[in-house]
Amino acid sequence: MKKYLAIAQMQIINNIAYPGDVLGRSVSIAVFLFIFAGLWRTTFIIAGTESINGLTFADMMWYLMMAETLELGRPRTNRVISEQVKNGEVAYILNKPYHFLLYHFWFGVGDSLMRVGTNIGVGVVVAWALAGPPPSLAGWGMALVTLVGAWVLHFCMMALIGLAAFLVEETNSFELIYQKAVFILGGMLLPLDMFPEWLQRIARLLPFPYMMYAPARLFVKPEPSLFWQMLAAQWMWVAVLVFVLALAYRGSERALTVNGG
Amino acid sequence: MKNIQFLLALWKANLQASMEFRAAFLTQVVFMILNNGAYFVFWILYFDKFNEVRGWTLNDMMLLFGIAACSWGVAAYFFGNFTMLAEIIVKGRLDYYLSLPKPALLHALASRSIGSGMGDIIYGVGSFILSGYLSPEGFARFIFCVFTGVCIFIAFLIIVQSLSFWLGNTTALSQIALSALLTFSLYPSALFNTATKFILLTLVPAALIGSVPAEFVRSFAWDGFLQITAGALILLGLAVTVFRSGLKRYESGSAIQVEV
Repeated sequence: MKKYLAIAQMQIINNIAYPGDVLGRSVSIAVFLFIFAGLWRTTFIIAGTESINGLTFADMMWYLMMAETLELGRPRTNRVISEQVKNGEVAYILNKPYHFLLYHFWFGVGDSLMRVGTNIGVGVVVAWALAGPPPSLAGWGMALVTLVGAWVLHFCMMALIGLAAFLVEETNSFELIYQKAVFILGGMLLPLDMFPEWLQRIARLLPFPYMMYAPARLFVKPEPSLFWQMLAAQWMWVAVLVFVLALAYRGSERALTVNGG
Repeated sequence: MKNIQFLLALWKANLQASMEFRAAFLTQVVFMILNNGAYFVFWILYFDKFNEVRGWTLNDMMLLFGIAACSWGVAAYFFGNFTMLAEIIVKGRLDYYLSLPKPALLHALASRSIGSGMGDIIYGVGSFILSGYLSPEGFARFIFCVFTGVCIFIAFLIIVQSLSFWLGNTTALSQIALSALLTFSLYPSALFNTATKFILLTLVPAALIGSVPAEFVRSFAWDGFLQITAGALILLGLAVTVFRSGLKRYESGSAIQVEV
């Protein structure tokens, strides 16, 4: 365990070495929140109502803040694996005394911690300025607990896409499609509550809402029953995806061809 | 005329290079079309719930996406280095272009082609056709707006990235500027207050790529026409001026570069 913590620590130090870069990347969350504030403020004014599907303008903004934080903070494991396969570095990682997937898991943890931290910092300032004070402490608590499961789900999906690099090397296209699935079916751009009933039902059968909607929705509406329901479904999906990932890894190992080094 | 022939030769070489990896190129194109389509689902869901927002309907958003995607696609496919200029300057890779008897900026920009740009072009044209604004005049205005959109995208990024001549590596700044320009261009400026609209017409000219052209394609208006044309011309002039004055400060790294 110590070696994995060292991997995470190493990645945190790497990020701290370039604080300007990390902070600069957080400008995206400010732009995103500013645009969506314009869209939703106008929408609420036109609709002539304080709340739409149970969400007020402030709820929407804080929901989007949490969702965007997760999107910007999710691990980029597929890109790292893809790069390692292309330049041959993967050979050096596979023969080290640690598990390939656990190495990437802890590498991702270290990488995400700094990004999630700065994005929450910038996001809170911008969302507060645009929509008023943040949700209650219960919301923060439920969001943080479900954030862990959401991150693990993201990791599993990104690692699965990354393992495809063992076969096809370039995985950016798969990531783009996955990202859009999370944007829409995960409820990043629009909370599931705003979906037509039939689409809500389909989305809830998939893992995407538990990667994004669960922490963001619980953040603004911390309902205990929903929390337990979301948490159970989230970790059920974690179990499924970890199993699939383990199988995929065993298959990919056999298919790998190292070209460089 | 000679410059056009030179550009055509570069584009031909880029196309031949893409065709070397045909499957990879086609995959990029198809996935970019799917990517844009998936992103647009947000607006389909939004307008399913709210019929319009400040006069903008689903069809208008299709038109806006069509123009913005097509402009980005043309810039990326035909002038792919427009997002890499800062890196080229900082790494001393301008040496290669400066040593040849062709316009260095034009040569540098058109030396690379981003394959996924073709996907954006196809998506953009398709989105325009589906928007319901297809007519001979509408098509002519669409082409005009794509042309000015390409000029604005490229000019804006040349200006930001030319700061590398004075400030050193501005890659991160360029990425932020590009992200802001691209993101804002995909939303109607009617959503924002007057101060923001002013910024979107000047400092970050996203409205001149998305909103204003979309309104101009819907119906001809002189003020829209003048805004887009003046915006494109001023930004292009500014871009060339800034790049040229920055070039006087350019220092070669004397590194051996291989341009493929």
